[in-house]
Amino acid sequence: MWIDRSFLTLFMFVALTQLRAETVTAARALFIEKHCIDCHDDSTAKGEFDITALDFDLSDGANRSRWMQVFDLVEKGEMPPPEKSKLSKNERHVFTQKLGSELLAAAKAELAKAGRGPVRRLTRVEFENNLRVLLKLPSLDIRDKLPEDRDSHGFTKVSAMLDVSRVQLDAYLDAAEAALRSAMASEQPPPLPVSRRFTGIDLFPGLDTFGGREAMFFARDNRMVPVTNEELKKMTPEQRSDSTLELALFRSATWPYFGYPRGFVAKVGGAFRVRFSGRAVRQVQGFRLVPAYEPVAMSFRARQPSGADVSGDVRETGGWMDLQPEVREFETTIHLKAGETFEYSPLGLPVPFIRTDGGFYYDYPPMPPEGHRGVAIQWLEVTGPIVDTQWPPPSHRILFDEVSHVMGTEADAVRLFQRFATRAALRPMSEQAHEPFLQLIRAKLAAGMTFADAMLAGYQALLCSSHCLYLTEPRSGSADAHYAIAARLSHGFWNQRPDDELTLLAKGGRLRDAATLKAQTNRLIADPRFAQFVETFADEWLDLRKLRRDIPDERLYPEYRKDDYLVDSMAHETQAFLQAMVRENLPATTLVTADFTFVNDRLARHYDLPRVAGSAMQRISLPRGSPFGGLITQAALMKHTSNGTTTSPVLRGVWIMEKLLGQPPPPPPKSVPAVEPDIRGAVTIRDLLAKHTESKSCAGCHAKFDPVGFALENFDVMGAWRDRYRGMEKGEQITGFDPAGHPYTYFVGAAVDASGQLPGGQTFRDIHDVKRLLATNPRQLAKNLLHHLILHATGTPVGFADRAEVESMLDTCAAGGFRVRDLVHALVQSRIFIGSSFLP
Amino acid sequence: MISSHIATAIPRRRFLRGLGVTLGLPMLECMAPAFAKGSQPKPPKRMLLISNNLGVLPQHFFPKDKGPGYTLSPYLKELAVFKNDFTVCSGLSHPAVTGGHSTENCFLTAARDPTRSGFRNSISLDQYAAEAIGQQSRFPTLNLGVNIDKANRSLSWTRDGVLLPAEDSPAALFRKMFLQGDAKQTALSLKRLQERGSVLDVLSEDMSDFQRGLGASDRSRLDQYLTSVRELEQRLVIAGEWEQKPKPATNATPPQDIADKARFFPKIQLMLDMARLAFESDSTRIITLMVDGFATPVFEIDERQRTRDGYHNLSHHGQSKDKLAELKKVDLQQMRHLRDLLSALAATPAADGSRLLDHAMVLYGSNLGDANVHNCTNLPVLLAGGGFQHGQHFAFDTLHNKPLCNLFVTMLQHLGIETDRFASSTGTLSGL
Repeated sequence: MWIDRSFLTLFMFVALTQLRAETVTAARALFIEKHCIDCHDDSTAKGEFDITALDFDLSDGANRSRWMQVFDLVEKGEMPPPEKSKLSKNERHVFTQKLGSELLAAAKAELAKAGRGPVRRLTRVEFENNLRVLLKLPSLDIRDKLPEDRDSHGFTKVSAMLDVSRVQLDAYLDAAEAALRSAMASEQPPPLPVSRRFTGIDLFPGLDTFGGREAMFFARDNRMVPVTNEELKKMTPEQRSDSTLELALFRSATWPYFGYPRGFVAKVGGAFRVRFSGRAVRQVQGFRLVPAYEPVAMSFRARQPSGADVSGDVRETGGWMDLQPEVREFETTIHLKAGETFEYSPLGLPVPFIRTDGGFYYDYPPMPPEGHRGVAIQWLEVTGPIVDTQWPPPSHRILFDEVSHVMGTEADAVRLFQRFATRAALRPMSEQAHEPFLQLIRAKLAAGMTFADAMLAGYQALLCSSHCLYLTEPRSGSADAHYAIAARLSHGFWNQRPDDELTLLAKGGRLRDAATLKAQTNRLIADPRFAQFVETFADEWLDLRKLRRDIPDERLYPEYRKDDYLVDSMAHETQAFLQAMVRENLPATTLVTADFTFVNDRLARHYDLPRVAGSAMQRISLPRGSPFGGLITQAALMKHTSNGTTTSPVLRGVWIMEKLLGQPPPPPPKSVPAVEPDIRGAVTIRDLLAKHTESKSCAGCHAKFDPVGFALENFDVMGAWRDRYRGMEKGEQITGFDPAGHPYTYFVGAAVDASGQLPGGQTFRDIHDVKRLLATNPRQLAKNLLHHLILHATGTPVGFADRAEVESMLDTCAAGGFRVRDLVHALVQSRIFIGSSFLP
Repeated sequence: MISSHIATAIPRRRFLRGLGVTLGLPMLECMAPAFAKGSQPKPPKRMLLISNNLGVLPQHFFPKDKGPGYTLSPYLKELAVFKNDFTVCSGLSHPAVTGGHSTENCFLTAARDPTRSGFRNSISLDQYAAEAIGQQSRFPTLNLGVNIDKANRSLSWTRDGVLLPAEDSPAALFRKMFLQGDAKQTALSLKRLQERGSVLDVLSEDMSDFQRGLGASDRSRLDQYLTSVRELEQRLVIAGEWEQKPKPATNATPPQDIADKARFFPKIQLMLDMARLAFESDSTRIITLMVDGFATPVFEIDERQRTRDGYHNLSHHGQSKDKLAELKKVDLQQMRHLRDLLSALAATPAADGSRLLDHAMVLYGSNLGDANVHNCTNLPVLLAGGGFQHGQHFAFDTLHNKPLCNLFVTMLQHLGIETDRFASSTGTLSGL
């Protein structure tokens, strides 16, 4: 320590006067004086960095990370700036060697003292999942009671961000209480599921919908059957349910719309089975139906049974089903809350629009030559809520076993609590640890509270206590290390608590055994619950959560108006691709280049690929020369890195550098305003940026991230290919009607120039070149992926002491070509994941 | 100014105390009255946020010219006496908040695209402000509604986008503010608070045990859990204290609820009276009020005339002369109620003797710029009171609107909250 301190003294001195270059640390002070201080003293502080203000106490985490940045920049040769400095190779080496070893020693000391990262609270999604599993309540819905978790660079499972405030604690208590109440059987068995069948006019809540006759009608023998309100009023229930009628629908379920079976409302929330018969149709002149040329996808949306102006919660439920040109039966399970109904939601059909010329009405787009695409429904049955046939339900037995929840004794209370705690706690609890909870239960019983309420109070406290709310590090020498590994595996790959198999292995102390770990990791990856990893990791690493943030500008991009189906399909592509990367052990280069992807009918159209039928994602080989191979150019990523109106090479470049290439740029300087894009079409973004980065100090940084962004300029705000920019004023005028029938006018102007030069000096013409260049460094791609996986799985970013470990993981995977599942295995087997007995 | 529904003043002083229930925890400092320390108290800032979800006819609302010397529009003429106490804004809206009537829940949140699948609302201005200023009055906020569809509509939303249901009963509101609950009710709510308290005791003990087995950095990390336990305990105490604390006295007569939705204006009047009483008695600092025109059927414009159609259908006037004439009457009537509210606030003295109006911001606006065509841009926005530099027409670009949230940030700052952004804001509204 004395070295650091003496260095510090010297080094504070540096800023004011000459050095006393006597010791080794003084050598470093000299280095700083010679190579850093011109720009990074207290008065200039370039890049807002004043090295003279930086303490050299490496035991302090914040200081250490600043020195780590200094180390990295000097080691990479970015600092001191090559054009300004005559730093010799040897000088650089001596400096980084020394600083590096000191940083490592400090990081190892910290590791030995405090472990890799702090304990972490469960996210609200994990908490809900854990209660669903523990209480055997798969449809438990308590997430909304819990505040949303903050994120760090998109990741919510970061220990440092998972704070607890009084608001959170109160909310977790409320959520636990609500979960326990729904787990407990009420005095009377629940009502049996109700089944209802809808046919004829009862299939729809009204006789028409927004968009007029073209949007919806009833038909018999493929011809419209007009029904008036007067006729409806006189109809008997039998006449209303005339099963020779079909419901024909030609619009998507987007505002303004309401289309649910007449009078259906879920009295109690839960899962409902829906069976229906339907087909894909075309509406041709004269309101006639003819068979469709291709399938039409449909889903359901849960919502309040109000009018078109529904507020709050509208959720797609039941998945996508492809209606075929011939009549078929479909069956799905939907989830409704009490008081909700569900509406027909055909996907990818037009949405009518408001006309105000000559009154106020909703118009339907002009009929294309092949007619309007749509669906016809013959009948629909809904049964639910689907409840457990057992009584009392399994969730009740988890709480009370066979004990009467009215008549239990104190001895029962002790036994039940211990039994529950063994299942609920993420690590074994000592008898002593049970005591505060048992005291609470005893006190409640003594105060005259009912047996059930007293038990629930104890359970509620347990669920919000350290035993159920916090994940710990697998520490060497800790008796619970194997439980911590089990929890890390299951929360990492399934987003939920360990299952029995993992718990048993933890109990047997088997989870540091390499073969067992590998087998378990493979089991977790193969399991359907792995979908939770795919969804979460895509949301957090690839920012898919931001996919629906911006709506494409209706003036510039009328073809995307209200195209939710396209946006959802984009998300499905990226998820399917990510899943394949792990399950099929694809090389890390698939991040930037691949000869395949996953598309459905809508996405194939979007990418201008050969026709594909149906809504399900299908793996397809991309034609030679297609720009859509690899995560980097997928529509979902292109969409959320634009703002819906314009694309910015800066923002896209920064995102790609940070998330896909692992070279995060420094934050932008505070004093410079962002570039305002020109949407008239007069000036391209390249020209605007050229002006913006005229000064050398700007250009230096922008050269790191703009180039990749420029290469992506061929992808529009929704990720479709473009050769020229669109604008509102300049260029070739394009007019037409959008999918809702609105007339539009925009202009196609300047050609896209996607060429540039990567920071390494390699020039490129377009994205194809860039992909080839990026793919030549698979180790960097793999390293970046590992860094993000480590953050996701352990809640702590890669630290200085982890660096060697990461490099050795990469070495292990090098021979196989840095394949993704290999990387996952290497991580799970590493000290970073399972903890270690190694001491510095 | 007391409305016709709160008739003769019956002096009453109710101090129902000593219910025999205490939580056995010390009285907190924050419970002490704010003015106990200084001699001349500075009256706290307040805000009342009103939205009519069908808006007004824009052609009669917005002034033709701008700036400080602007000419009052036909609607604003109703507020002529207060010309220097309000500012009217044009060219404001929430970016990308589209979807017709569904935007009504976003007026104070600015959450984008409310009709898409998986939409989640975000925190509303009132809740954001309440979080920032803390609980300085019995109710951190009051969320009110007239003719409101409570299950589906509200101006007030939590940080997680959960709807906070509006109170639509002036009588219930009056009881909450002024009438002490009976011993049994108080005891029941105190019991629930106590139960949570006992669970917190256990959590505190358990967490301390857990910490003992951990390293220093983990221990300090978990201190925030223990802090949360303590803060929550204190909150429970505050709630318990307010539960037992005598409510303020008032001269006003308890109002009678009006069930008939057709008596739209008397209902508005009654709610505005309650809002004014809530400020006057310092029951709260922040109030929202949604006037749910959408859920209002055929109603009385005045004693002599009823609308020919429900408010919603009326608002889709399709340029029909008769409908436009009716709507104009309806809008003017609302302006008069707003004027009466401002008069009442001006006539009520604040703690330092100045006008309560100078400390109470009153925002009046709508999520619809033109209900006829479901347009959600160029929203009508009027800000009165609060002690701003008023008397102007701030006219922004009607084609490229400024975010309404810029005004919200200015209001938050005026409340003493240090923030430079809220939702879609890009700055503040300078010049106020």
